[in-house]
Amino acid sequence: MDNLEFLHEIENASGENISTCYQCYKCSNGCPVAAEMDLLPHRIIRHIINGNREKVLGSKSIWMCLQCMTCSVRCPNNIDIAHVINTLRKVSVKLSMEAQKDRWLFDNLFLDSVKTHGRLYELETIMKYKMAKKDILSDTKMGIDMLLKGRMGILPHSIKDRKMLRAIFKKVEDDRPNGW
Amino acid sequence: MATLTYYPGCSLKTSSRFYDTSIREVFSFYRIGIKELDEWSCCGASAAHTVDETLAHVLAARNIAIAEADDNHVFAPCSACYSRLKITNDKILKDKGLRDKINGYIYPLRCLGTTEIKNIIEVFNEYVGIEKIAKGLSFDLSSIRAVPYYGCMLTRMPKTDVFDDCEDPVSMDKLLWATGMEVLRWPFKMECCGASETITSKHVTASLSGKVMDMARAVGADVIITTCPLCQMNLDLLPHLNRKDNVPVLFLTEVFELAIKGKISGKSAHIIPVEELIKKVVQKSKL
Repeated sequence: MDNLEFLHEIENASGENISTCYQCYKCSNGCPVAAEMDLLPHRIIRHIINGNREKVLGSKSIWMCLQCMTCSVRCPNNIDIAHVINTLRKVSVKLSMEAQKDRWLFDNLFLDSVKTHGRLYELETIMKYKMAKKDILSDTKMGIDMLLKGRMGILPHSIKDRKMLRAIFKKVEDDRPNGW
Repeated sequence: MATLTYYPGCSLKTSSRFYDTSIREVFSFYRIGIKELDEWSCCGASAAHTVDETLAHVLAARNIAIAEADDNHVFAPCSACYSRLKITNDKILKDKGLRDKINGYIYPLRCLGTTEIKNIIEVFNEYVGIEKIAKGLSFDLSSIRAVPYYGCMLTRMPKTDVFDDCEDPVSMDKLLWATGMEVLRWPFKMECCGASETITSKHVTASLSGKVMDMARAVGADVIITTCPLCQMNLDLLPHLNRKDNVPVLFLTEVFELAIKGKISGKSAHIIPVEELIKKVVQKSKL
């Protein structure tokens, strides 16, 4: 087996030239959530190059990334690191290796809402997330304050042609390779 | 009168509805026409490209395709919407393979990537200009010390031409300077607010937005100015994240409202109170 199999897999899936990394550490130095990470961004890249699949795909770091893009715009080798991390999330979920499920859960509920209404229905999405997490009562005070200040819609703002939008979603989902 | 195709995005219809109101007030003063995009749908935000990159482009392209028929520039005040629309628009213009693929999904709509996507700072700079702003003000904002907070999404687009510097942008500084505010130098113009972690890992937002607020106070700011609904919301929620002594967080257009009319139409939507700030401006202008 080619030892570079994992590197090639992630390079192909992301379209990024990961192997050009020379470990300057700029990505990790600028990362606002470095303190939350079990593997710093420059190490994620190095582990990909070294083929350490489990270490990378099972890391908490790939889920703590905020996609703020600081690393991506600073990389001297033009590696869009945030994009690499976003690609790793998809691969990790596909192989059921994800260390943390909250981000994936929330983003999928967000997209379900868009698929149903055409636009995000915040209240419904947040309630569904809280129900899935079995944590309905936290943040009640914050939620009520937001409702009182008119910062949370009670009703959805749906578009008219939802049928057409759902058809578009379905076409994209049907073409997604192996639930990618 | 210039007309822009207006893409409000989900936030400006719900959690930041007062930003929409503020934009309409200020644009009508400067005679910038806006026509809301028919049947616009969500841009996909950060969720779509995390789950499925094709879906992210498809959701953005659906909106751009509808907008192209109007032949105006597209104005997207939310930084995330702006970023998603601009990234897809650029890719569709340059990459024929992607263009054909995405158009296959949104058929019978068709997106060519030939329109221009503008954020709110670009609109003020290009359609009004600092000279006109400085000349047309009725209230004196010189007693207010402001820090401009750009956030991540406006200029951090790898491999895309951006409108301002991604480390030290100045375009909003100039606009604020033109309104007469004292614009302070500070190192957190581009610091991340914590994005949607407010829902999934609240302590991350509390920590990151808290640091932005700490720095604003440390440099002596009376107010933080932003253009991004998510940045505004996260910072404005700090009292609920157990942080005391917060300075108000205004949208850029609310600064214009203050300078033109001496009031803020959405003041009751702010969680960190803005009344003191308004009072200070009105009193100073009476002197």
